[in-house]
Amino acid sequence: MTSYPTLAAKNILRHRTRSLLTMLGIAASVGVLFAVLSFNQGFNEGLAAELERTGLHFMVVPSGCAHEVAALVLHGAVIPKFLDTQVMDHVEATDGIDLATPILVAQLPDQERGTIDLIYGVDMEALPAIKPGWQIDGRMPRSPHEILLGYEVAQHDNLKPGDVFSTPAAGIELTVAGIVGLTSSQDDAFVYLPIATAQDLLDYPQAATAIGVKVNDPAAIGAITDELTSAVPGIQIVTMGEVMNSVSNLAASARALSLAIVLIAILISAVGVMNSILMAVFERTQEIGMMRAVGASRWDVFRIILSETTILALGGGLVGILIAVLGARLIEAFVRSVMPFVPSGDLIRFDPVVALGSVVFIFIIGLCAGIYPAVKASKINPVEAIKG
Amino acid sequence: MIELRQIQKNYRRGAEDVRALRGVDLTIEKNELVAITGPSGAGKTTLLHILGCLDQPSHGDVLIDGVNTATMPESQLVKLRREKIGFVFQQFYLIPGLSVFDNIALPLLFSKKPADRKKIEGLADMVGLSHRLDHAPSQLSGGEMQRTAIARGLVNDPDVLLADEPTGNLDSENSEKIFTILKNLRDQGLTTIMITHNAELAARAQRSVRIRDGRVAA
Repeated sequence: MTSYPTLAAKNILRHRTRSLLTMLGIAASVGVLFAVLSFNQGFNEGLAAELERTGLHFMVVPSGCAHEVAALVLHGAVIPKFLDTQVMDHVEATDGIDLATPILVAQLPDQERGTIDLIYGVDMEALPAIKPGWQIDGRMPRSPHEILLGYEVAQHDNLKPGDVFSTPAAGIELTVAGIVGLTSSQDDAFVYLPIATAQDLLDYPQAATAIGVKVNDPAAIGAITDELTSAVPGIQIVTMGEVMNSVSNLAASARALSLAIVLIAILISAVGVMNSILMAVFERTQEIGMMRAVGASRWDVFRIILSETTILALGGGLVGILIAVLGARLIEAFVRSVMPFVPSGDLIRFDPVVALGSVVFIFIIGLCAGIYPAVKASKINPVEAIKG
Repeated sequence: MIELRQIQKNYRRGAEDVRALRGVDLTIEKNELVAITGPSGAGKTTLLHILGCLDQPSHGDVLIDGVNTATMPESQLVKLRREKIGFVFQQFYLIPGLSVFDNIALPLLFSKKPADRKKIEGLADMVGLSHRLDHAPSQLSGGEMQRTAIARGLVNDPDVLLADEPTGNLDSENSEKIFTILKNLRDQGLTTIMITHNAELAARAQRSVRIRDGRVAA
């Protein structure tokens, strides 16, 4: 027995190509909507996890832009400013500090190899506290000329523990002590070496781009940072919460733009649905007249046409979410290639609430798009329609 | 019984005022097989639409079993069409995406009745289509399509079957089959009103009513 939804579905199948194209338009819009909403959630969760992995509570950096600091903390951006060497003494002398370690992040061009190495100079003894989640193949460096390699660097240069890492600086030979296991983050791209060696390589003695600080009591962060800021001129203190806000704000701006574009795309696909259903209504005028003659009320006709629209919208919506979930890794790869910082981990995960929200949204859009054709169809005069 | 009293139907077609029916008086008794004939534009189809509660007259009364439908609201007309009237059209108007079975069952969807498989199979058998129930309309001949439309018109157990040139698109062999079915229906107690241009079929109906210039011709 035919029900309203089956009748509507069979009507849709009468024009397979047109229905498929209309549905694909919706699928594309809803897929992107789902991806953008899921990406937002995944991005924030990934960012929080990434910051937690740093093992630090705040960074002391030269005064400047907060976004620069965020970039430094999260992916080792090079800040062309250095802290005064005396800042470290002030930080260490402050009460409540558990760990303070200078960090020197810089680029090291190697013309012979035709590469630019990203170096991360740090006190090797403090490294396990800063990067508590690392798995190391080999061991931690014990001497000034031993280094750790990020996973990608080791893969790229085909190096393993015990190998020599070439540097452009004459007279400095570095040995790979260990290789950091894959983190799927910016950590994979660095060469980690004792800070004194990094300063020698760059010829910046005593230089540091930041001081990473871990406090005894996280509740005291506010008091400690206030004390340091007032005691030491020319510095800026950025807590991990502020870094997160800074990066989140940047991501939120991109998200707002993406959502605006997605909403326009959805609007266009809704107009496509309306157009497609209107065409179907005009083509089936006589058939609608027949249905009225054999007992269909205006409401019955309205329901059939509205069902067709909602089936198209829901079908497109579900297909769109499926495509977004299946293509999540591709979308992520694209996003990672164009955004300056993206946290590690899965950015697009299937969240039933987001999926349901997207489907409900497109269902409402489908209903709205279907109202006009459905009203139009329900107003068809059966006598005129049957006459043709 | 259906009784038409002084039915007039006027409408506008572009800038022109059309007087399709100009005072039709007609009584059709139960179980009658009536053929309505007349030249094109005489007002036959308008009359059929008024008889079938698909349209309402500008003036006059339409009494179906004593109830005047001339001024009934649309919701009651729909109910009447579902319960008492079956329609058959010259162009069949079968829904291409539905099987013969579902096309026959379609009016049941609107009258909110379950599709009784036995009843539909019985109707298909009566019109000689029991072997075609799962077929699509595109797989049927013109005669088979019209027989499907007749079964569809009967599925709600109407009191009256209205057929607008049911043989107009068919060859003589299929026209004969359709007429035989209509005649059998009348024999089973159904009031059947058929518009036709086929003089031979009209002559074989129980009564033939000729419409000319919007009036019943003498």
